[in-house]
Amino acid sequence: MRWNGRTRCALVCIGFVLLFSAFSFRLVYLQLVKHEEYAGLAAEKHVYKQPIYAERGAITDANGEVLAHNVPVEIVVADTSHLNRERVAEAVALLSRDLKIDTDELWEKLGSDRHYIVLKRDVPESAADALQAKLREQNLRGVYFEHDAARLYPNGSMLCHVIGFTDFEHKGIQGVEASMDEYLRGQDGYRYIEHNRAGQEIVLYRGQERASRDGYQVRLSVDLNLQNIVENEIDAAMHEYSPERATIILMRPQTGEILAMANRPNFDLNQRSTARPEQMKNRAVIDMMEPGSTFKIVTAAAALNEKKVRPDTTIYCEKGIWNYGGRTLHDHRPYGELSVQDILVKSSNIGAAKLAISLGDQKFYEYIRRFGFGERTGVELPGEINGMIRPPQNWSKISITRIPMGHEVAVTPLQMTVAMATIANGGKLITPRVVKLITTADGKTISEFSPSLVRRVISEETAKQIGRALRGVVSDRGTAAAAAVPGFIIAGKTGTAQKVDPHGGYEKGKYIVSFTGFLPADHPEFVGLVVLDDAKTSKPELNYGGLVAGPIFARIAEKAARYLDLAPQPDLIKPTAAGRVASTSAPGH
Amino acid sequence: MNRSRQLNRVGAASLARWIVITALLAAAGLCYVYLSLQLHRLGDQKKSLETELAGLRTQDDVANVQIAALTSRSALQRRLKEGYLKMIPIAEQNIVRLAPIRPAPEEDAIRPVANDQVGR
Repeated sequence: MRWNGRTRCALVCIGFVLLFSAFSFRLVYLQLVKHEEYAGLAAEKHVYKQPIYAERGAITDANGEVLAHNVPVEIVVADTSHLNRERVAEAVALLSRDLKIDTDELWEKLGSDRHYIVLKRDVPESAADALQAKLREQNLRGVYFEHDAARLYPNGSMLCHVIGFTDFEHKGIQGVEASMDEYLRGQDGYRYIEHNRAGQEIVLYRGQERASRDGYQVRLSVDLNLQNIVENEIDAAMHEYSPERATIILMRPQTGEILAMANRPNFDLNQRSTARPEQMKNRAVIDMMEPGSTFKIVTAAAALNEKKVRPDTTIYCEKGIWNYGGRTLHDHRPYGELSVQDILVKSSNIGAAKLAISLGDQKFYEYIRRFGFGERTGVELPGEINGMIRPPQNWSKISITRIPMGHEVAVTPLQMTVAMATIANGGKLITPRVVKLITTADGKTISEFSPSLVRRVISEETAKQIGRALRGVVSDRGTAAAAAVPGFIIAGKTGTAQKVDPHGGYEKGKYIVSFTGFLPADHPEFVGLVVLDDAKTSKPELNYGGLVAGPIFARIAEKAARYLDLAPQPDLIKPTAAGRVASTSAPGH
Repeated sequence: MNRSRQLNRVGAASLARWIVITALLAAAGLCYVYLSLQLHRLGDQKKSLETELAGLRTQDDVANVQIAALTSRSALQRRLKEGYLKMIPIAEQNIVRLAPIRPAPEEDAIRPVANDQVGR
């Protein structure tokens, strides 16, 4: 090969061709083969998936009054790598003063070398704006603000156990906030954004976006006007009797809607961090109690429904003392022959025991279960318990005489209310409801909770017979004359049970007193239950359901009837002798 | 001499064509830059409007919270206790109840709906 000019030129050209071919191959390799990988790496550097937070839905009462909603707040965070080390003292002084944080705590937090430190949550917008302005004025860097929302409960402690609350991640952890969390929570959206070196978004390069869906609104069946009546009366009862615990429930028997529910002790939903665990318990659904004589409605209903007896069938009540199974059963008065109706009116333990014996263990147990005892009612409140009903094979020889008067069984206050509602609505066991409706923020209905029939427990006729007997309880013949409401006929039943000692046996001198009833007796608009645990009365002989819980029920029922615009019967408006008898005569049982 | 003049002559039509093409390309480039800048500017405007909207929503939420707090049951009860509000119980005789509508004997018959006790 001769190295002439032509050859050299050709070699240079070939060299260039090879060089540019190599470049081209490399370019193709990078752009096509490695495209995904490098594009991903590049995106990691400047593309950011920005979350779009959904707003948690509000909770309202039956009339749309707000019970829980959100308030915009800021989270104050710090990045210590952006802080000027020489000016930390200034930052601490300012933050400590404006955010009301202890200076030692701030020194500890800002002294670390972390990039993300939460200084304070739930800072109101106005306070955050003021702090931001001061930081800018003093040219202090490294403190940032993040948008957040805090859950606010405008009514404080009212209905606290039903509403419940959320944790700092906005997840419902108690009450309706927990049970309806799925609906309330909503769905967060996102948006892919690119930002420049200063961290500002380049809107032009905004990528894929999915809008957030705000949480649905939950409308409760609770009417705040009725709840207010109940709260005032339970507070008055706490003041008057200083019981350890108290529960009041109002429910519509035809639909199972809970109209009001209050427990004591309670707590302020806005100050929940300071509440003790025992204040947070919704005792209406998680507390078990021996119901006492209110349980006799189950015994009598079972015997009547099985046609073992008629309302006017008389039963010999052994003059108040009866030996059965080697143990003595007492009545609080020496009754002779009593009709089935009068067994309820006078609350005879011996009469109730004999009714249960006529049914037999298995049948009686079957009715207890049919009334819903021993299983959850299904109300939309978390933590509900079953209660405790032992099967007949675990009964002792005397259980058949003790269970009919509400001993040896443990029920929740709500189960007892539902049982009374079954009598009031003509024998149907209805699932209690605390949630009425789920809607979007603009009012479109998503889901409606209609009444749910569990089963027919007793015939309509039996329910009417029990209802008639229960009217006698709230009369001067019965144990709850003090539960009478002028202008209305009330049906109800008192209960007084000795308090169970957790270590075994019963606590001496401590009682759980209760009253459950409905109004008006003919066409019940609501069923109510009042339970006071260890009420302190001026005299021990006054600590009975008819004398303590009965009058509380009467006051609530009177106000509730007026609110619900129930027309009183003119001939019943004047206070009867019953009221006077109630305050002076023998205690109710 | 004539031959070299002929060879170096630039055609006016060709020059004009290239000038036009270059001008068009330059205009297109400038338009591209201008429109890109416009897009950035509109993006920034959009962002600031979004921020403003978010701020207004926040203000609205805060106002709603204040309204709810001031009109809540607890707040009203507190005001009632403090004497800012006064409530008078309605006496039974002052309540008017409308009886269920019954067919009137005559089409134009007057049906009373209020009682004499009201307002006494």
